[in-house]
Amino acid sequence: MTLRFKRAWRRAVGKGESLRPRARRSSRGVRPENIVWIFGTGRSGSTWLGSMMEGLEGCAMWNEPLVGNLFGNFHYFRVGGRKTGRQYILGEPYKETWLGPMRDLVLGGAAARFPEVAEDGYLIIKEPNGSIGAPLLMEALPESRMIFLIRDPRDVVASSMDARSEGSWLSERREAQRSASKQTRNPNVYVRMRANSYVQQIEKTWQAYRAHGGRKVMVRYEDLRADTLQTMKRIYSSLEIPVQETDLARSVEKNSWENIPEEEKGEGKKRRKAKPGGWREDLTARQVEIVEDITAPLLNEFYPHTAATRGAL
Amino acid sequence: MIRDAWRKVRGRGMLEETGGMRPENLVWVFGTARTGSSWLSAIMGEVGGYSRWHEPLVGHLFGNLYYERAGHRSEDAHFILGARYRELWLGTIRRFVLDSAAARFPGIAAKGRGYLIIKEPQGSMGAPLLMEALPESRMILLVRDPRDVVASNLDAHKGGTWTADLMRKGGKEKPPSLAESRPDAFVKGQARRYVRDVGNAKKAYDAHGGFKVLVRYEDLRADTLQTMKRIYSELEMPVEGADLARSVEKHSWEKIPSEQKGEGKFHRKAKPGGWREDLTARQAEIVEGVAGSLLRELYPVRSTA
Repeated sequence: MTLRFKRAWRRAVGKGESLRPRARRSSRGVRPENIVWIFGTGRSGSTWLGSMMEGLEGCAMWNEPLVGNLFGNFHYFRVGGRKTGRQYILGEPYKETWLGPMRDLVLGGAAARFPEVAEDGYLIIKEPNGSIGAPLLMEALPESRMIFLIRDPRDVVASSMDARSEGSWLSERREAQRSASKQTRNPNVYVRMRANSYVQQIEKTWQAYRAHGGRKVMVRYEDLRADTLQTMKRIYSSLEIPVQETDLARSVEKNSWENIPEEEKGEGKKRRKAKPGGWREDLTARQVEIVEDITAPLLNEFYPHTAATRGAL
Repeated sequence: MIRDAWRKVRGRGMLEETGGMRPENLVWVFGTARTGSSWLSAIMGEVGGYSRWHEPLVGHLFGNLYYERAGHRSEDAHFILGARYRELWLGTIRRFVLDSAAARFPGIAAKGRGYLIIKEPQGSMGAPLLMEALPESRMILLVRDPRDVVASNLDAHKGGTWTADLMRKGGKEKPPSLAESRPDAFVKGQARRYVRDVGNAKKAYDAHGGFKVLVRYEDLRADTLQTMKRIYSELEMPVEGADLARSVEKHSWEKIPSEQKGEGKFHRKAKPGGWREDLTARQAEIVEGVAGSLLRELYPVRSTA
């Protein structure tokens, strides 16, 4: 790392700017502080939340760019002990040289895709399956805002299993890709795998959430289901984003579970049952045990009252 | 609209503020692991005016998501590496490489002279993206008979070998490998990896309009100095004959101490055709079945056992 790079980066970060502040100021792109990330994990209601936010004027949603997956999966899981090395492209000693291009990749991609929210609008980036890279993205874009959306891992696993069952909405897509689902071949192996990926994604999201010095909010899917409007108000208030209550109420109503046509809901559909605690009907006792064992620290942290049901089922 | 965004980005110097690293001074070595890329790049990195960047894995970073994990989303406009915004993200890849190279090798960047050899066999999956992002750069496609590559990997991944030592240095114990428990399955997996890496590197090589050279490991072993001269000549890079000869000599197989060579070691046997001693007939058949098309293309004379 050259001293020049280090100094330039520190100066820029100190002022809340990127390495290329002039370019950013004069651009008609999306303002980094108007980017709102939704991190967590798949099947936790991020599509629903994103749709309610997108429904408001001056808002757009970037649906799963996988930019977090691009960097996070590679950096945290594929390179092993090379992270601290000087040769590896995302090596810690050279962080300043790659956080800049990472930032530009997001801002450039946002500007090209969403010119309608340039300057004053808000861009919601729904990125549950890229949550593994949340710490890197939030470091590259410290001005942006963050929603940590969490759901009971047992419900997440139950929902993921349904999505991958034969004939479901996701299995049709998978069939096109010709990959046999582990859920069909061996359900318990799939449960274990999904619980592990839950832990990876939620731990990284939590890490990013704790480190983020900007505006942020943690939302439980269960609270969003119990009182959607109040929870949405809390989100906007915590993120300090102005919103008209009537507009918000309209968007909440429009995207409510009750307003989804019956034929689009149910088993095997993308919108399944939206029922917190539904895992009690969906998972076997053994599957519950597997999930609870793997996700125990997170269950204790975020769902302390129902963290372990072993023996109670 | 995308072209406008690209021009805006370019116009503001976002892409070309690269700390002075000139893309034409980059020389990529693609292929796959266990093809002699450490040896080749060590020879080149030793010569005056040349430096070596050892496996940045930038090709793996972008190639793995683009070709494997999210290959099905390439036409999706929301996907960060989506086809519609290709120019935009190729620009980012370009900056990624040039900024990182400049920070690591300020000597080459500052002078604007000299060459940086980027040894990237394990990032070969992303070679087409890298060469498209940096069309001025030079490329070496280093290939080796897939049966020897697989045999070398089979040896490397057994218990107690150099790969286990490497993991231990990184603070991890090497998990049990298929190389021991199910060698035929391991062989199949490695043959597929060969096809993925060398296949993509070959695609990049065929598409590349700049300076490039295809080198067979077997030729490099048979006459190292002559093959090295051919490499410099085809890449149109200057080299002092005496310097090159000295480096070739220094890195020759014979100069490696005996205790550092042999089974389970990083330097194993360096013997083209050694697969006949290392693989079972069934394993050779598996490799020929999976990598047959590349084998026939790259080794037309001796393509089957």
